[in-house]
Amino acid sequence: MLLLILTVFVGAPLAAWVARFGRIQSAWAAGLVTIVAVLQLITLMPAVFEGETLIHQWDWMPRAGLNLSFRLDGLGLLFALLILGIGLLVILYARYYLAARDCMGRFYAYLLLFMGAMLGIVLSENIIQLLVFWELTSLTSFLLISYWQERADARQGARMALAVTGAGGLAMLGGFVLLGHIVGSYELSVILQSGDVIRAHPLYLPTLVLILLGAFTKSAQFPFHFWLPNAMSAPTPVSAYLHSATMVKAGVFLLARLFPALSGTPEWSALVGGAGLATLLVGAVFALFKHDLKGLLAYSTISHLGLITLLFGIGTPLAAVAGVFHIINHAIFKASLFMAAGIIDHETGSRDMRRINGLWKYMPHTAMLAMVAAAAMAGVPLLNGFLSKEMFFAEAVSASTHLRLGWLLPATVTVAGVFAVAYSFRFIHDVFFNGEPVDLPKSPHEPPRWMKVPVEMLVALCLLVGILPALTVEPLLTLASSGMLNQPVPDFDLALWHGFNIALAMSVVALVGGGLLYVARQPLFELHDRFEHRLQAKPLFDRTIGGVLGAAGAITRALDTGSLQRLVALFVAFAAVLGISGFVASDSPLTGPRDLLPVDGISLLAAGGLAAAALATVIMHRQRLVSLILIGVVGLVVSLVFVKFSAPDLALTQLSVEVVTIVLLLLALYFLPRRQQPDSHPGHRARDVVLSVVAGGGVAALAWAVLTRPYDTIADFFLANSVPGGGGTNVVNVILVDFRGYDTLGEITVLALAALGIFAMLEGLHLKGPTRDDEGRPWSPDMHPPVMASLTRLLLPLALLVSAFIFLRGHNQPGGGFIAGLVTAVALIMQYLANGVAWTQSRLPANMHPVLAMGLLVATLTGLASWLFGHPFLTSTYTYLYWPLVGKFEVASAMVFDLGVYLVVVGATLLILIHLGLMHSASHQAPADTGDYR
Amino acid sequence: MNPEIALPILIPLLGAAVSVAFWRHMALQRHLAVLATGALLAIGLVLLWEVWHGGILVMDMGVWPAPFGIALVADLLAAIMVVLAGFTGFAVTLYSLVSLDREHENFGYYPLLQLLLAGVCGAFLTGDIFNLFVWFEVMLIASFALLVLGGRRTQMEGGLKYVTLNLIASAIFLTAVGLLYGMVGTLNMADLAVKLAQVEAQGLVTVLSLLFMIAFGIKAAAFPLFFWLPASYHTPPVAISAVFAGLLTKVGVYALYRVFTLIFTHDVGYTHTLLLWGAGLTMLTGVLGAAAQFEFRRILSFHIISQIGYMLMGLALFTPLALLGGIFYIVHHIVVKTNLFLVSGVARRLQGSYELRDLGGLYRSAPGLSVLFLIPALSLAGMPPLSGFFGKFILVRAGLEAGAYAIVFVALLVGLLTLYSMLKIWAEVFWKAAPEPTSPSPAPLQGPERLLLYAPISAMAAVTVAIGLGAAWVYDVAEAAAAQLLDPALYVEAVLGRERLQ
Repeated sequence: MLLLILTVFVGAPLAAWVARFGRIQSAWAAGLVTIVAVLQLITLMPAVFEGETLIHQWDWMPRAGLNLSFRLDGLGLLFALLILGIGLLVILYARYYLAARDCMGRFYAYLLLFMGAMLGIVLSENIIQLLVFWELTSLTSFLLISYWQERADARQGARMALAVTGAGGLAMLGGFVLLGHIVGSYELSVILQSGDVIRAHPLYLPTLVLILLGAFTKSAQFPFHFWLPNAMSAPTPVSAYLHSATMVKAGVFLLARLFPALSGTPEWSALVGGAGLATLLVGAVFALFKHDLKGLLAYSTISHLGLITLLFGIGTPLAAVAGVFHIINHAIFKASLFMAAGIIDHETGSRDMRRINGLWKYMPHTAMLAMVAAAAMAGVPLLNGFLSKEMFFAEAVSASTHLRLGWLLPATVTVAGVFAVAYSFRFIHDVFFNGEPVDLPKSPHEPPRWMKVPVEMLVALCLLVGILPALTVEPLLTLASSGMLNQPVPDFDLALWHGFNIALAMSVVALVGGGLLYVARQPLFELHDRFEHRLQAKPLFDRTIGGVLGAAGAITRALDTGSLQRLVALFVAFAAVLGISGFVASDSPLTGPRDLLPVDGISLLAAGGLAAAALATVIMHRQRLVSLILIGVVGLVVSLVFVKFSAPDLALTQLSVEVVTIVLLLLALYFLPRRQQPDSHPGHRARDVVLSVVAGGGVAALAWAVLTRPYDTIADFFLANSVPGGGGTNVVNVILVDFRGYDTLGEITVLALAALGIFAMLEGLHLKGPTRDDEGRPWSPDMHPPVMASLTRLLLPLALLVSAFIFLRGHNQPGGGFIAGLVTAVALIMQYLANGVAWTQSRLPANMHPVLAMGLLVATLTGLASWLFGHPFLTSTYTYLYWPLVGKFEVASAMVFDLGVYLVVVGATLLILIHLGLMHSASHQAPADTGDYR
Repeated sequence: MNPEIALPILIPLLGAAVSVAFWRHMALQRHLAVLATGALLAIGLVLLWEVWHGGILVMDMGVWPAPFGIALVADLLAAIMVVLAGFTGFAVTLYSLVSLDREHENFGYYPLLQLLLAGVCGAFLTGDIFNLFVWFEVMLIASFALLVLGGRRTQMEGGLKYVTLNLIASAIFLTAVGLLYGMVGTLNMADLAVKLAQVEAQGLVTVLSLLFMIAFGIKAAAFPLFFWLPASYHTPPVAISAVFAGLLTKVGVYALYRVFTLIFTHDVGYTHTLLLWGAGLTMLTGVLGAAAQFEFRRILSFHIISQIGYMLMGLALFTPLALLGGIFYIVHHIVVKTNLFLVSGVARRLQGSYELRDLGGLYRSAPGLSVLFLIPALSLAGMPPLSGFFGKFILVRAGLEAGAYAIVFVALLVGLLTLYSMLKIWAEVFWKAAPEPTSPSPAPLQGPERLLLYAPISAMAAVTVAIGLGAAWVYDVAEAAAAQLLDPALYVEAVLGRERLQ
């Protein structure tokens, strides 16, 4: 069976490929592929007729309960035959239908893909696999409906069809997973045996509803029927194949397939029967009023699908048999009708029944075929439609006996039958008689000989089945019904004549009533025209989509107005709310058991200073220079705190970072727009005050809670191992370059990145600096005061020496690569500040990229070197050397790593500052001065 | 010693350093970038192979034993993520060779991209919470630099939002790490897992876990913390968008997976329920946002958010099947999403715009591209038999089995809306007749440009199909990865040794 499906799937690209050798070749290829598939199916048939259920399995995702498994029983066989048989006819038909400018290869490729997917559905043993093929049919249907993709109605129809059937597919996914959950397997053989377990399970109803949603959307049951008429913008062979004979039958197939597992409950009868009845009636009524030939057939299809669903909903074995029988009959007569409609469209250029009249004269042969098929649709005796409709009427009557208001069911069904006869009359009378054609684009004539062959074959089948049911269709029907019921089929009689009974009476009423209805149609048409716009589902669908889109836009805009301040407020507020709620929800007290240390004056002073400086920054933020100085104060207090806690390294680092940062910010300040923003709205300010108090208070409370609890740390290890393991007495430095050298590697990467990023950002940026200050005085032309210039030049070697000293003592005394790098950078920046960019540039290489790169490389390669000795990354070693004059000193490999740090710090700081400075001078000097310093 | 644990970080780092050293040698930088990302992919596969066969791998940096030094830890999830980072990096680098203009290349695109990858891999492989912060910073600064590369006005605007909101995340993250250290005095994640379980004040631990949730939630673009993403992702050149779309938010998701399976599992009822709410709302707001957009990349950006919700759903449900599904989804998503962005870039190359109204007719003029769009687009919408279907299927199943019907409903609904969104792009960009070009149309694709634009897209589409058809393999790996996550003792034992396991 896998081979069978694979044949069709592989055939699809083949059909597309051979199209390059000629259009007809593509049709031949598609036809041959289908014939091969039919032959494969025939070889499997004898076993099925002997009552076997063939199951072939391969592992796919065994642990997820998902296998590639196929099942061929009577029901599957019937559908496979329908799919392949009608498929073959459609391939033949489409060869003549498609116009010269249509791409044949693409059409046949899609068609074969669809055929493969459809076969997959009916031959699946695993329901998840069934779903996979199910969605594939939705997709291929989407591609086929939109085959003429330049046409807007085709695009819309395709999207609507996919949206509706796709939604159903998703619901079905939920339903199938639930079903698997209940049964414990996704295999049909297990599921079909577990009907009692499923029906008794508390999740039965949701499972049923979800699966029915899938089936109803696919089979265009009311109220999901509206996509089908809109899908009629597809080429007619597609309509004939997908939207009447096969794909829309997938839904009823599913009902049939799961019939033993799900049916037999009041819920099933109400949902399935109710939907079927409504669809039957709605479809039949609407069909009568459609002026479009395919529209009429589409609604008629809906109505017949409703009929089948209703039969399954009734739920007795006999009703099920009738349903299967009608599936066969409907596929045959409706496919032929669509093909006939396609011929008419093809040869007249129109599908409007108000314009195509009296075609009997022009195409009597086609007219004959269409009339027989339409009569079958109406349920005229001697044709196949009569038989299944008769069974349907009988079942409706017998079901009504044990229902309250039971007579309503046969009555409604008869009304639907009346409408069905009426629209069949209309199809025949309007198109082939009723005067002369009106203003047709083409003059009608008979189509090519072979285009009629598929129709002839189908119509012949209508007659054969209708006259000799027992000889033709009965074995297959029995087989399919037993496959569906998963048990032997009750006796049924496919005779033409059952004697005078209610069903016959209903048939007669339908035929006569339908004829009368058609004769008296004019007032009804007027009524319909008046209310038509209210009954259209498409505008409703469009409005729903529009509503969803509108709501989506509104929600998105409401959440994000584009204001960064608002977003920051939102983020902080959310963090505060979540944090506080978490704390409130917990039962931990805020204060821990640890004794509090006495408060000393210096700490208090520092804390107070910090808070005051921070507060002042906020208050003075309009005066940029002042607030910048205040930020500096904050930083300095922090470094003092480090001193207080005996962390000279950190204090030194903080100090130099502070200097560099303030210089950087000063440079940036220059470019800020001089125009002041208007004061924020008082409400916003209140919001900000509340937010900051809550957020800050929250963090403080957390810190309090943590600090008042006992504390056990790994820090002792570092103190103990710094000298013996790391070879340095300065633990901070050993942590930086050794214990956690890997962090440092990351941090210098960040620094290098920041430099590269700022470089990249500034190069593309052209900002205009101010030429005058706030009081209107021109910018001072005296840029480099000589005293400062000469002083800094003197200072440079001294500063460099200091930095070398700091670097070298780093491992044992406060210092290290990071601080040394900052000191060097500051010394060099001083030159730029005091002497100007141009002067300094001519003496110092401005290209800092190699320095950065060297730093990163040195640091990384030092770490890698340890690999050569078989140690992990960044393993350090140290030894003692003796140099004359200097004496004995220690050399640690970590110092090389530190050199890398040093280089990156120098390179990054200078890169950033030089380029900010360059922009600075570019903004009020001749551009030629800047040169190219990439 | 297993060098393959550290190499995913060191290879791009060295590649970047050498590129910076040869700042103006563009040919060398380009070759180096291809070489380095290719090597990253290869080493990622080696790592995955090793971990698959040998269990969790650990390397103590500088032989300082955990928890004192920094340990690199590669479990299956980390190894999977490294492979994906390598794949994405390699594909995007190839694509960049022909899609970037000179200006971007000259300002250090290649080294910045490699540093970004180093940061991403560093975050995946670290076993130390502070070290995780360091790599997050590397990623943040690298991505910010890439975002503003070229310094156009829209880029600056997006970049400013991006960096400000992400710095809030960093601040919260750092605060939380500090408090955590103050509480148990250690930074090693395995050690944290052991020691936090013994802390008396479990309520405080919950509060700290929420701080991490917020910090990583911002990184992962979860509701309501995602606004930086749609504000910025559509502004840089498409290769940059693509790598961001594929990898960046997923690092946030990865971090959530890591800490909420290893460290913070003491109050699952509270934290993971919050995550579940977050997951549902993230899915919904993301997909609704996408519905209101009419620019190719903005639509895709909003869908990133919505898909993050699915991944969070896997974590929040916290069953073996759900975690499996989440991991499966991450794998699928990274490939698909990167690919969609790359496709949008080709569309722009052909028709000069990302606005849906300016695009059209590609179904006729570029049928190959249409197929290459449909595969990831339908996969994103969860259509079988593509990768996205299985991710969704597993998550739906996990949700139903856990009785979380509401989230399953949301997940299915969002799938439908995603499909709608992809169809919108399809109808506008591919079906609709091409609008009259306002400017002279760009030159047709040919030669190496065509090859290098299409090769990565085709490869990613092939992987999408392969994940679908060969779902069993991914399923098995994801299942094993989820099993490791759910058994933190394995991780702790690998890092700290057997004796620390009480």
